[in-house]
Amino acid sequence: MKILVCIKQVPDMESRFKVAESGTWYDTTDLAWRMNEYDEYAVEQAVRLCEQEKDSDLTVLSIGPDKVKETMKKALAMGCSRGVHIVDHEAYSRQPYQKAAVIAEYARDKGFHIIFTGMQSQDQASAQVGILVAEMLGIPCVSTIVDFAYSDGKIEAKRELEGGMKARVTTTTPAVISCQLGLNTPRYPTLPNIMKAKKKELLAVSFEELLKVDPLQETIEMYIPEKKGGGMILEGEAGELANRLITILQEKTAVLK
Amino acid sequence: MTQLPKGGGYLLGSTDPKNIFTPEDFNDEHRMIAETLSRFLEERIFPRMEEMDAKQEGLMREFLVEAGELGLLGADIPEEYGGSEIDEIFSTIIAEKLGATGAFAIGHGGHCGIGNLPIVYFGNEDQKSRYLPNIATAEKISAYALTEPGSGSDALSAKTKAVLSPDGKHYILNGDKTFISNAGIADMFIVYAKIDGEKFSAFIVDAHTDGLTTGAEEKKMGLKGSSTRSVFFDNVKVPVENLLYKPGKGHVVAFNILNIGRHKAAANSVGAAKYALDLSATYANERKQFKVPIAQFGMIKEKLAEMATRIYAAESTVYRTGGLLTEMINTLDPSGPDGYKVIAEGIEEYAVECSLEKVFATEMEAFVVDEGVQIHGGYGYIAEYPIERLYRDARIRRIFEGTNEINRIIIPTTLFRRAARGGFPLKDAMKELKVYLNGETVARENPGDVVQAIKDVFLFVMGVSYERYGDEILKQQEILGRLADLAIQAYTTESTWLRTQKTAAANGQNAKLKTNMATAFIYTTVEKTSLAAREIIATLVTGSELVNMQSDLNKLLNYTPIDIISLRQKIAGAISAAGKYVS
Repeated sequence: MKILVCIKQVPDMESRFKVAESGTWYDTTDLAWRMNEYDEYAVEQAVRLCEQEKDSDLTVLSIGPDKVKETMKKALAMGCSRGVHIVDHEAYSRQPYQKAAVIAEYARDKGFHIIFTGMQSQDQASAQVGILVAEMLGIPCVSTIVDFAYSDGKIEAKRELEGGMKARVTTTTPAVISCQLGLNTPRYPTLPNIMKAKKKELLAVSFEELLKVDPLQETIEMYIPEKKGGGMILEGEAGELANRLITILQEKTAVLK
Repeated sequence: MTQLPKGGGYLLGSTDPKNIFTPEDFNDEHRMIAETLSRFLEERIFPRMEEMDAKQEGLMREFLVEAGELGLLGADIPEEYGGSEIDEIFSTIIAEKLGATGAFAIGHGGHCGIGNLPIVYFGNEDQKSRYLPNIATAEKISAYALTEPGSGSDALSAKTKAVLSPDGKHYILNGDKTFISNAGIADMFIVYAKIDGEKFSAFIVDAHTDGLTTGAEEKKMGLKGSSTRSVFFDNVKVPVENLLYKPGKGHVVAFNILNIGRHKAAANSVGAAKYALDLSATYANERKQFKVPIAQFGMIKEKLAEMATRIYAAESTVYRTGGLLTEMINTLDPSGPDGYKVIAEGIEEYAVECSLEKVFATEMEAFVVDEGVQIHGGYGYIAEYPIERLYRDARIRRIFEGTNEINRIIIPTTLFRRAARGGFPLKDAMKELKVYLNGETVARENPGDVVQAIKDVFLFVMGVSYERYGDEILKQQEILGRLADLAIQAYTTESTWLRTQKTAAANGQNAKLKTNMATAFIYTTVEKTSLAAREIIATLVTGSELVNMQSDLNKLLNYTPIDIISLRQKIAGAISAAGKYVS
């Protein structure tokens, strides 16, 4: 079975973000980088499938500058068989449509049975790439899955819906699957596997070579919204707190007259 | 290939920042293992620290087995025996991260550090294949039994005795060992005993052999979750093939393993101190008094800044030493008939550096956890807050792996001995310094110059001490202790400055913060250098000679103080903004 998993390197979400000088992206100085959380679920699910189906081959793909190789190595240490690094120093400025087109262009004719992606990236959050790849390849896509099973060319997945509902969905391979939080608990790469990953193939492909479409949208501005009046935290004795709360409710709201 | 720096060589020449290892030089694999460790600790160990410290049956073994599954026990074990055999930087990262886990760090270190390395470095083929694979998986838990009720620092005066059985197949061991980490859960011990009461030797002893018993669990101040017991040997039969290395060569095994053990203890301290600072910085941001977070008060800022600065210095020192050990181990060729000797001499080369970093890092940790409790105020004294555990757990690190006093003795003693053998050109260095002092001396204008001043003062005072006492200097502990402090100040300030320069040259992360921390560290340390040096010369000479020497010291220490307070405010600002240690 041939499997592809697409991952993205994103900043640690605990970082303090600033808008870059360009005004259309965040400033990347002094940021720590890691694997997009949703992609970790995708990698874990792909590795589990690989372990389930004998003689499987799992390729991990990532678009970005050289530093994304560190994150790709983590996927290799988690169990991917090989890596394809689509080298792009302008990755931050690419639109989802372009990225999807490049992935589809790469994956076309490679005979992947399943392509796993995260449901969205934590830094751009367009949630488009996986779905667009499926459309471009003309194959089904099951998005936002929280449970996954595969047997004999048939996929059965659970999707998370709003309002606490879930849906069971089936489809057949080839297909694209986008993964949501709660799907699984990603494994830690063990020390021996980290060392083995060093010896795995990591192929570099140029983004431009695969890029055959123009962007369909443009980011005009990235900005931090103006702060609305923040919450108030009252501290003190319970009795005194109650009095102050009543005063505030009387003065600033219509709850108490 | 570039020549390996000589042990202690940092004191003489200058070192190119490019030639030291720094945490900024971590490769992808180093960073990945650090991430795996962080997750393992956060998800598995920290939430169960209380259970572990309550000595819940089986928990330490369970954690060691889990650590084995992640490959965290086999970092020093060759691949063919079930390990990963990777560089010393990996082991340093593992030791650093585990440092915050108190009892677990001791269980881990006792098992795959000192309980394992004697076999890795000095075991023969048969011993390695019998024991190492089981250590890598924690199928067998190991422990290191050196200390005896009557012999701690004076380890070679051990009374445990080994006598060859009449049929020549066994050594019969009799004696007591005390304060043995992992004793209660161990399946095997590295035991030191004197063959016929004379030849100090190392043995691998199966813990389940008849006649081997352990005492009650010691009730300790800290590290409560690690098993510490006495071990008693009553006619314990040890197969002759379990003698490690050679009869009478136990001290070679013991002391060299201790060098590596000291390096790991220093790394443990760095990790524990970082955790203490993370907790304290977070607490100071959240705790309000007089309606403002206490992190905004000057005295708290100064504490946070000094904690971060000393951690940065220790971290720089520990990874520089880790780099030296890695390069040394990589260049050794133990394949010849004298392979073990090659390894022993290789490790011995950096004995001074291992002692230096152990003393500095453990005392840094003591300072950091103490200030950490202070920042927490009354809550820091309550066991519910992890800083209370860190405070107790830290205390032993200045006592074990060689007390800090023993390590202080080792530093100048080793250098004096090397000087006597021509391995450390003290006389030449002294001659050069005197020429410099008689000519036109220069003002020390930047932190790098001040580091040079500290190194010069060390050599000057060491030279003067030797001129005054000759070989008798080795009996003057008060002077030796101060010389050790000067050597530590030289090594730590230099390591910190070199790392900072290397980061700045590479336009690396947080270069400004690093420069601030390095500058603050160097300018506060040189004051300690000045004090220790003056105390030494005042006990060595009197009258006009003292006046002249005082003037020489003034020439060496000719620098203008800087505004430490505003530097610390900037450092504290960065720490509080992050809510944790950053570098």
